[in-house]
Amino acid sequence: MPSPSLSSSPSPSPSPSSSPSSSETLFRRITDYAHRADPYPLYAELREHKVARQEDGKYLVGTYDEIAALLHDPRVSSDVRNRTEPDPALLPPEGLPPAFIGRDDPEHDRLRRLAMRPFGPPHSPGRVDALRGDITRIAEQLADGLRDKERFDLVDDFAFPLPVTVICDLLGVPSGDIPQVHTWADTVVTGLDFTPGEDPGPRRRAAQEARAAMGLYLGELAEKRRRQPTGDMLSALANDGGPDGQLTQEELMVSTVLLLIAGHETTVNLITNGMLTLLRNPEALERLRAEPELMPRAVEELLRYEPPVQFLPQRTPLADIEVAGVTIPEGVPLVLVLASGNRDPLRFPDPDRFDPDRKDNQHFGFGSGIHNCFGAPLARLETQIALTTLISRLDGSRLLEDPPEYRNSPVLRGPRHLPLAQAQR
Amino acid sequence: MQIVVDLNRCQGYAQCVFLAPQVFELHGEEALLYVPAVPDGQDEHVLRASAACPVQAITVGEQAGGDAGVE
Repeated sequence: MPSPSLSSSPSPSPSPSSSPSSSETLFRRITDYAHRADPYPLYAELREHKVARQEDGKYLVGTYDEIAALLHDPRVSSDVRNRTEPDPALLPPEGLPPAFIGRDDPEHDRLRRLAMRPFGPPHSPGRVDALRGDITRIAEQLADGLRDKERFDLVDDFAFPLPVTVICDLLGVPSGDIPQVHTWADTVVTGLDFTPGEDPGPRRRAAQEARAAMGLYLGELAEKRRRQPTGDMLSALANDGGPDGQLTQEELMVSTVLLLIAGHETTVNLITNGMLTLLRNPEALERLRAEPELMPRAVEELLRYEPPVQFLPQRTPLADIEVAGVTIPEGVPLVLVLASGNRDPLRFPDPDRFDPDRKDNQHFGFGSGIHNCFGAPLARLETQIALTTLISRLDGSRLLEDPPEYRNSPVLRGPRHLPLAQAQR
Repeated sequence: MQIVVDLNRCQGYAQCVFLAPQVFELHGEEALLYVPAVPDGQDEHVLRASAACPVQAITVGEQAGGDAGVE
């Protein structure tokens, strides 16, 4: 099991503000790869301060009530163009507007509603539910391919291909193009990494280029679908309008890039963190094997316990905002640490325990408020089906590495590989 | 199976409509309509929808007002 990661600090006494364990260095320590396997002790330290100003002027918030209030506060912007000092890592490619995740109302609302039309209620209420059969079939095929292997990598062999196949299918990306799309998506996410002591310039430029290339690719694909619709989301976005009109070509490009990246880089972590958590908690695993109807709640608990998006790095106050007695100034980077709020003992009893029966589980696994995860219903369904399929078809799996090797990103946190061994029958 | 939705809590996230479209429906952009007596074959959908509600507004029971809401 993970050990407390603060043990590296040599000074046991409450430290002066210049010491390396001061709350001003929390963001640096959270993003340090050394803490990727277990950032939770750092989040506990953050919650003692509620709001922690960082050495570079960022403000971190880690307590549940404060995060909830800020997620619902119209004075908190999601548009990084409102930063006093621009953050090159978060800006969209030259000439393109930010996607709706990085816009404020009313533009955010218009763009999100247009993107929602072919995906969910009120206009397409059955779309996600209709995917259930396909998701189950893909999950079963992938799991059956693993049954006779003595060892396999849950990420490369299952948790990655499942959501990627589903999102590409849903949007209408031909399966032959998936490897190229995947390379772009990975490059974009790598550009978001915070690696202390490394020049982020080249990574960011590569990410901008990948984002632009992906946008052009999806724009061209949408053009084809405009002439010849094929029943997928891209065809609907290119052809169908409502009272708000249609997305412009640029808006369509950045919106679909966002959906494709989000569909690529998040659910894979939820599924992998899920299997890791269940294998670390064999009692819960056995219960879910015997009572699969508990799975929906277990997935909610997983979203609380190991959320695939650990913090939101792109909020900015539009005015000075007082939070827990601290004034967060207008225009500074405001980081909401969702994964810390999810472990706040003032909100969740016994928060470090994985409890698939947990009641009153209003977690921040998909955020909260107007930017609440667009793809949440799809991610839920995929993860419920994935974990149910894995535990019913693969019995006797065990972890070969614990903790496993993690991906670099502290935001989209999850194992890079999860090697498992199976008892042979 | 019966359901009750606390419409004072409901914020229109519509997660239930995605997961159980035969039982929950949006009227306009965010007002929720639902079928209190769950139709046959929809139990699993409703349990998924209830677990997914971000504000925990959906209560499921064998009989509304009977054992519904037992915590």
